Amino acid sequence: MAHFFLLKNPMKNYEVLEHTADIGIRVKSSSLEGLFKSAGLALVELCAKKQKNQFPEKHKFVITQKAANVEELFINWLNELLSLSSAEALIFEDIKINQINEQFVDAIATGTDSRNYKTNVEIKAATYHQLKVQKVKSHWQAEVIFDV
Amino acid sequence: MPDHIQLEKIDDYRWRIPKSYKPGMRVPGLIYANEKLLESIYKDKALEQVANVAFLPGIVKYSLAMPDIHWGYGMPIGGVAATDIDNGGVVGAGLVGYDINCGVRLVKTNLQYDDVKDKLEDLTNRLFSDVPAGVGSEGNIKVGAKEEKQILLKGSRWAVENGFGTEDDLECTEENGAIPGADPEAVSERAFQRGKAQSGTLGSGNHFLEVQVIDQLYDREACDTLGLNLGQVMVMIHSGSRGFGYQICEDYARKMVEILPKYKINVPDRQLACAPVNSSEGKAYLGAMRCAANYAWANRQCLMHLARQAFEKVFGLSWQKLGMFLIYDVAHNIAKIEKHEVDGLKKNLCVHRKGATRAFGPGDPAIPQRYRKIGQPVIIPGDMGRNSYLLVGTQKAMEETFGSTCHGAGRLMSRTASAKSTSADMLLKELRSKGIIVKASGRKTVVEEAPKAYKDVNEVVDVVHNAGIGKRVCRMRPLGVVKG
Repeated sequence: MAHFFLLKNPMKNYEVLEHTADIGIRVKSSSLEGLFKSAGLALVELCAKKQKNQFPEKHKFVITQKAANVEELFINWLNELLSLSSAEALIFEDIKINQINEQFVDAIATGTDSRNYKTNVEIKAATYHQLKVQKVKSHWQAEVIFDV
Repeated sequence: MPDHIQLEKIDDYRWRIPKSYKPGMRVPGLIYANEKLLESIYKDKALEQVANVAFLPGIVKYSLAMPDIHWGYGMPIGGVAATDIDNGGVVGAGLVGYDINCGVRLVKTNLQYDDVKDKLEDLTNRLFSDVPAGVGSEGNIKVGAKEEKQILLKGSRWAVENGFGTEDDLECTEENGAIPGADPEAVSERAFQRGKAQSGTLGSGNHFLEVQVIDQLYDREACDTLGLNLGQVMVMIHSGSRGFGYQICEDYARKMVEILPKYKINVPDRQLACAPVNSSEGKAYLGAMRCAANYAWANRQCLMHLARQAFEKVFGLSWQKLGMFLIYDVAHNIAKIEKHEVDGLKKNLCVHRKGATRAFGPGDPAIPQRYRKIGQPVIIPGDMGRNSYLLVGTQKAMEETFGSTCHGAGRLMSRTASAKSTSADMLLKELRSKGIIVKASGRKTVVEEAPKAYKDVNEVVDVVHNAGIGKRVCRMRPLGVVKG
């Protein structure tokens, strides 16, 4: 049965969600911009840990995604980050959202060579399975399961 | 007992979800399990997913679930769904999964346990160093951009033409290692980018290369045909299409969500998004999926080549002299166009096997001549502490499950829960005390893949054997394990 538990580090702004075969996260933020940024950085934290800075050169990528609704946009956003990270063999360390609404996101993701990192788990993709992206009172909340 | 789905018991190994369970189900669900396995199946929402799959346009007979079923995304892992192509039947990227043609191959040797027991440490170390494994690992088999397309079209044959195997290997691979109809034009640039440098790599997670020993024979006639005996050392390889396949699934899963309204398809979960097999999108997905399938077969062929070379180095004999011949290679995440009987008529079906293995019965022309008498070899990997199995397909599987059976043990525990319940040191020590040496790229993988995170494969195989949708041939236990 899936259940939630809080990671011990209070600095983290996401929770890990357990699932029989996979792993997921729950993210909260006061803004949609913060939600997308936190989810993107949580993705990195889940699968990689920085060990050195042997390859310090920073690589910037513009990421533009659109979708029919905020849930599909959220999945497209996370999958683009995963896919780009894998194709370019780098890990994103910073995300700057330039523009966002529920159907469109434009951002700059900055990363360094993945050889600076020890990767623990390979996330294949973010899935629609049990996906929730919603505004709860004054904040945004998302739950997403990754295929690992 | 479940609080949501009441299953109808057909017999000790078959359970039905009636069509009336949920409005919109086009066919009933059929689950292969015993009472013990059902207890774990009830713990997550896999049965709900079996019911959801029954919504697919064109689905015929049943939404099937094998005893290793567990909660996946959209379609459960261990699910089989066949749709009638000539009656609006659909194909779905999420119904195959991200790791297209994840599969297993089994290689025999003429070595006995006594021949390897003193060299096991060396052998496992050699395999670990010579077979690239782990997240994002890069292979030693480098491929130019031009050749990449050849891999997608030729699959294992590309590897054989480049010196990584023999014609014999192709005969002993499902689809001879290359499914026709691959269309590289349907593959995105990003998929090529993600796949580059990963040929000949094992990957991570549950992928592995194992040295095993046969510890139980069940079917003497089949063992004689396959040239297998008690105490014989075997090699099993479990891998897939790596980043290349993930990207193809993602590209088309996204596309299929967008076009659901175009084809007026209603599915209860977006992860079940699909398109008619005969639509341009359905055809493009199948063309791209076949590229990933062929890539995976070429990959496992390269991995076997690297394993053969590692054995040659340790034993100082050629792989031919070591008798390292391929028994068979099966896909367990794939969609295939096959003819099966439905209500007394032969129909063209799109059979999705997501965490399920083809298990064609004796006499089927798709099976190599040498095995036609006994049925198609079916390889069932277990966890790294218990057993793996070799089965053969049956006529009953042809009649009941579109020639399909289970694919492995099936997860029981989440990766996080498994990692929290044990330490890598303790686990490695415990396995070593059972005579199992494990070499892994990451310690985290070891604990996530702990035997107790899986169902007991012996139970799973017991169900498919007793239900008649697979026939036990022999059982192996692990000796040396290489993990990503």
